[in-house]
Amino acid sequence: MHGAAQARKYRLQGAGLDLALPYLMLAPGLMIVLGVLVYPLWDGLRASTKIYRYGSPVADAGFQNYLRLWSDAQFLNSLWVTVKFVALSVSLEAVLGFALALFCLREFRGIRLLRTVLIVPMVITPVVVAILFRLIYASDAGMLTVLSEAMGGGEVQILGNPLNAFIGLVVLDVWEWTPLMFLILLAGLQSLPHEPFEAARVDGAGAWRVFADLTFPMMRPVLAVAIVLRTIDAFGTFDQVFVLTRGGPGEATRLISIYGYDTAFKFQQTGYAAALFVTIGLVVLALAFSAIRLLRRIDAS
Amino acid sequence: MSTRLARILTTLFVLATVLLPIYWLVSTSLKSNREITQEGTLYPHVPTLANYVRLFTEKQFGSYLTNSLVVTFVSVAIALVAGAMGAYAIARFRLPLAMEGKVGLFLLTLRIIPPVVILIPVYLLMLSLGLLDTWLGLIVTYTAFNVTFCVWMMESFFREIPVDLEEAAMVDGDSRFGAFRRITLPLAAPGLAATAIFAVLVTFNEFLFALALTATPRAMTMPRGTATLIGRIDTDWASMAAAGVIGALPIVFFALLVQRHLVRGLTMGAVK
Repeated sequence: MHGAAQARKYRLQGAGLDLALPYLMLAPGLMIVLGVLVYPLWDGLRASTKIYRYGSPVADAGFQNYLRLWSDAQFLNSLWVTVKFVALSVSLEAVLGFALALFCLREFRGIRLLRTVLIVPMVITPVVVAILFRLIYASDAGMLTVLSEAMGGGEVQILGNPLNAFIGLVVLDVWEWTPLMFLILLAGLQSLPHEPFEAARVDGAGAWRVFADLTFPMMRPVLAVAIVLRTIDAFGTFDQVFVLTRGGPGEATRLISIYGYDTAFKFQQTGYAAALFVTIGLVVLALAFSAIRLLRRIDAS
Repeated sequence: MSTRLARILTTLFVLATVLLPIYWLVSTSLKSNREITQEGTLYPHVPTLANYVRLFTEKQFGSYLTNSLVVTFVSVAIALVAGAMGAYAIARFRLPLAMEGKVGLFLLTLRIIPPVVILIPVYLLMLSLGLLDTWLGLIVTYTAFNVTFCVWMMESFFREIPVDLEEAAMVDGDSRFGAFRRITLPLAAPGLAATAIFAVLVTFNEFLFALALTATPRAMTMPRGTATLIGRIDTDWASMAAAGVIGALPIVFFALLVQRHLVRGLTMGAVK
């Protein structure tokens, strides 16, 4: 009798534990996410409605911080620089990555080496990528200047000139991230069905027709995902600019993340910086969710 | 014949574009500052390892490296365990309010928001907890970032594994958790590897939070330490280049070692 009761108790305990199991398994991850991501998000939202002096809140600002953004010429400029930077870099990466993926679709000698080498730029620490390009662009000792002098030319000014510095930053991003675009698009190309292409070959379609009528339309969803991923990522670019130009010369390469960082840590305007970051977060989320809806529509049609 | 030539030329062009900047970094790291700024040589005429020695004897690169390795290893390990359990819970169980479908989307949303958005509050949080400039502060932060991504990625791996296998194990007397640990987890190992590799890359390379949360060689990571060499008026190009090489080597070596998994992890989400 006693033994049976004990056994029943154990079984019940087992059942109780199994019932709680999903929560027990979710708890550690969810707790750390709530503590270190969600609470700070909430805290940032709260900070964005306050005015700070010397690191502590002194007054309520309501939506003033948010309104102030849109009359802040430096914010508007950094937003414009960011949009230009993202649009230019991501479209260049998409075109180059797609071309390279089409090029690598047929197996040939050296392709393994090519693929291996292409992994390097995107895994190297972004800070080191910035160092790489500083060593290339530096007007006194950079690779471009050394090459130019070896050919009888003079110093090459990249980081001292606003337009050149901006282009230099785009080149860095293209160097670093075209490989990712390439890998995603190559995987996409390799997963396309063979039959339509064979049918087209039997019909004697030329290379361009095959690309325009088959490859491109079939690749559109993968292309869209790759572009969305890169765009979201590029919006948050910070490390490379921080090390390469620190936002300069003037404000030529001052992306929104750099401006926000300076507002918070250099100018100590915590509340205003929080409002700026909340705004960026909302813009990126809106971008992402409209992209997801767009993709669903492409999938459905 | 002409397509073959075009192919060779394109391959060479791509290789040169990728490798030339890297060649220049390595070559600069082997020159003296005098050779870099005054002679402008194309390759090190008097190769020297002095720059590397200086990094470790004068600039505390030993601590940066140790900090990076410890912080990366611990935070990825915790995130993998917590993430795998969380992913399993939402992949296999029905939860109240259909939470199992929403947790994934919730974590994905958190992942999409650029990290810079929560930089200030995380800084204030670590300040109030007294965790600025410590391993623990960085570990906690990185673990949170990695968990969102681990759960989201591993959920799909667990869904691909048939439930029957677990049920069989449970009939044989395993508990639910036992079945997860002995049957499902080993089957999901390739997915776990891809996830871990990606997490290692992102964590080892992280700079923004390391910049805000650390201030001395006690906790500064490799990217953070490298950045301290920059921004002086008189730039020490030779140290900077050597630091670049030291910073890049472990992660490039690691990436090439696990290349196959890496490419899978990087491309998987997008192509699906």
